[in-house]
Amino acid sequence: MAHADSLPRPLPLAEPRRRGRFRLPSSYTLVLAGVLLLLALPLVATLGYALASRWGATLLPEGLTLAWFLELWATPRFLAAFGRSLLISVGALALSLALILPVAVLAQTRYPHLDHWMNTLILMPFAVPPVVSSVGLLQLYAGGPLSLVGTPWILILTYFTIALPFMYRTLANSLRAMNVVELMEAAQLLGASPFRAFFLVILPNIRAGVQIAIFLSFSFLVGEFVFANMLVGTRFETLQVYLNNMRGASGHFTSALVITLFTVTLVLTWLGARQADYTPKEASR
Amino acid sequence: MKGPRLPAWLGLAPFALAFFAFQVAPMLWVAVSAFRVEGDWGLDHFREIAASPFFRQAIWRSLEISLVSSVLGLTIATLACQAMTRSNARLRRVMISFTNMTSNFAGVPLAFAFIILMGANGVLTLALERLGIVEEIRLYSTSGLIVVYTWFQIPLGILLLFPAFAGLKDEWREAASLLGAGRLAYWRHVGLPVLRPALLSTFTVLVANAMGAYATVYALVNTSFNLMTIRIANLVAGDLFLRPDLASALALVLVILLVGITLIQRAILPRSDTHGTR
Amino acid sequence: MSHAAPNSALTSAPGSAPASPATGGENALHLSGLAKCFDTTPVFQEIEADIAHGEFITLLGPSGCGKSTLLRAIAGLTLLDQGRIRVGGDDITYLPPQRRGVGMVFQHYALFPNMTVAGNVAFGLRMQRVEAGERARRVEEVVRLVELTDQAHKFPQQLSGGQRQRVALARALVVEPRVLLMDEPLSALDARIRRHLRDQIREIQRSLGLTTLFVTHDQEEALLISDRVFLMHQGRILQQASAETLYSRPVDKAAAGFMGHYNLLEAPQAEPLLGYRSGAARVALRPEALYLSVEGRTLGGDPPPHMGPARPGVVRRQRLLGNIVRYEIEVDSLSLSVDTLNRSVRTQLAEGTRVAVQADLDEVQELCA
Repeated sequence: MAHADSLPRPLPLAEPRRRGRFRLPSSYTLVLAGVLLLLALPLVATLGYALASRWGATLLPEGLTLAWFLELWATPRFLAAFGRSLLISVGALALSLALILPVAVLAQTRYPHLDHWMNTLILMPFAVPPVVSSVGLLQLYAGGPLSLVGTPWILILTYFTIALPFMYRTLANSLRAMNVVELMEAAQLLGASPFRAFFLVILPNIRAGVQIAIFLSFSFLVGEFVFANMLVGTRFETLQVYLNNMRGASGHFTSALVITLFTVTLVLTWLGARQADYTPKEASR
Repeated sequence: MKGPRLPAWLGLAPFALAFFAFQVAPMLWVAVSAFRVEGDWGLDHFREIAASPFFRQAIWRSLEISLVSSVLGLTIATLACQAMTRSNARLRRVMISFTNMTSNFAGVPLAFAFIILMGANGVLTLALERLGIVEEIRLYSTSGLIVVYTWFQIPLGILLLFPAFAGLKDEWREAASLLGAGRLAYWRHVGLPVLRPALLSTFTVLVANAMGAYATVYALVNTSFNLMTIRIANLVAGDLFLRPDLASALALVLVILLVGITLIQRAILPRSDTHGTR
Repeated sequence: MSHAAPNSALTSAPGSAPASPATGGENALHLSGLAKCFDTTPVFQEIEADIAHGEFITLLGPSGCGKSTLLRAIAGLTLLDQGRIRVGGDDITYLPPQRRGVGMVFQHYALFPNMTVAGNVAFGLRMQRVEAGERARRVEEVVRLVELTDQAHKFPQQLSGGQRQRVALARALVVEPRVLLMDEPLSALDARIRRHLRDQIREIQRSLGLTTLFVTHDQEEALLISDRVFLMHQGRILQQASAETLYSRPVDKAAAGFMGHYNLLEAPQAEPLLGYRSGAARVALRPEALYLSVEGRTLGGDPPPHMGPARPGVVRRQRLLGNIVRYEIEVDSLSLSVDTLNRSVRTQLAEGTRVAVQADLDEVQELCA
């Protein structure tokens, strides 16, 4: 190897590279590619089906079209279900915010023990499956003075428990991050009443936290099926119940519906995540 | 300072009332009515569940599908997390956003996507049949449901496990290698023992998640597949034979199973957890 | 194992294997032509060094100078681009970390959180499949050496920082490495514990006769602990010398700049103070090599025999640093640092005081670069 001698670099250390670490990243990449493919498969198939004019006898779809989406968006029953889902979600979010925000503020300002309690309480909605809760809710609110089953009201009230864990954590965290107690005291020393201090000082500062809580809870609620189907069903058909009732329809049509629902969820989580990305930077400025 | 008292009480009461009425009360009602037998108290409903092959099958299938899909989901999530800690930052970011995205894809839409993919006329089914790889795919069987459940366990497992994997310090691996440990020895003596609490608690969450799952399986097979959640729902909201007390008993069995799984995890954990708080 | 470490090293009496600064010996470390780049940026290059068996070497340099990467390359944790590493007669350049016989103590301890103190220390012996009885004996011995016998059953999280670092030291020592590497092992500890552990490390190293490479950015630590200091700057070793030489005869501007509060002067600037024109490009004057006098009386004791001409100056600033006072004196439009011993508060010079400045000609360092 005469030419090697003339090189300025005396020791090309290729040997340990080949033996040691440099072959392994490719196997890691393979694992990740496999997992990505596995997770993407149902989504890609559904998207393909929603955009295909026909996809039966062939390996790949025949012809692309937006016809299924156009048909979906011209269907009155879908639009009505969309409206109902929005109505219930917005109602539930407004109710949750009104119920949870005072508790979060009190826990972060006056009663530190309350925060401890709340962190335990908010595990309950996780621990009890919705099917189990439904059994009790159906019996408790099916008749008598509080006849809520079959009306949108029971969903608005029950969805509060779904939004609770996430909303409380997010609000409590953003309150803790800004040191509410000192800010409230400072505002009051400058002559603001506690209520004015809250609305003028605290609320604007936790706006990002409130927005994250709202967007992400929104995406849970739009995707909720168990309570909607068991407590109300077709009497006030939401998007998820509508999708379930469309099982007899064309697969292309339901695919377009699935993709639409998924896009709505993604947009909501994206809006929430965008807020989450902004908050730390704003705080550090 | 008498002023602030009143608003504090006013702020807490509505929340407490709503939480009690829609979270605690339904649970209490289930716990109580499970023991109500025609206006009296008794264990008749539990005896009926224990004696019925139908209900016993529902319980066993729920456990089987939950445990198998959790083991599969946890294994794949573990491999993915390990690969993520060693991969470059860009691929890692892609993985995290993608798992976040797919963890939102659940319930009815997921069931429909799998019908499109692997149903009797599904895209993958037809493709594989044409290529002669499989005779048929049976999505509406136990193994079909395990595939669907595993699919939604993977993103959840990755999201729960990755922080623990990210907490494994490179220095531990380096220190172990200087002390003579190869890759396998490192994982056996350091990596896995350190991850054990996270693996166990993630497994518990996955099992609970699968045991309580209802929307996906209901949209897939309606009431024709025998699982606990399907049976419970059918006893209170089915077309015929509404038996809310029996539904409560079965719901209580489900809750007891979930609590039991958590207790087993707690019982295994403390020994390894004495050092685990970082 | 690929290397034959002296099995009796731990049991030998303290001081029986003193450091000898001669090159060579069974565990001498030879580095020749080491170089490493990340992408196209060189991290270190042209590293040449011979470290004798039992010698304690400190790699001193500012952060980012490449000293930690060099240490990791010697351990086999980072791949080299060029060069050879030899321990004794054995070339370890291509060996994986497991087979180098090199021990390492990390800045943040890197203790295994799932194992007790004893478990951490025993780990290396388990990997060597040392039989259980022998293992327990050697663990006990090393744990006693670092004075942690009472803590042996505890987990790392239950120990203080100083104790954790002693566990890390014991873990590295128990396998009897041929070379011990320490990567800023004291920098995460508070000052009092740092001093104590520093002395303890040196004592143990001396008693075991361990060839040791110690990385730090703290010059006081480097000067007090080492046989020799390797001063690193921008990926190169500027100077390899004893602490004394390094401090009194820095090889160039960068070395002088890092080693203390030298006054660095261009030759023409220094001429009035020295009374002659230096042949070198620059001269360095330590603050304590300059003397101040007020009204003919010299501060801080008797003046040395060979003094340069007295130059008039004005006190611009004064700071009390323990038992010395550091003055900033304006002389011929230059600003000089001058240290004097602080005998009493009354002798301190107020800002604006007119003084005469003289240099001790025997302490003038001439720099080429």
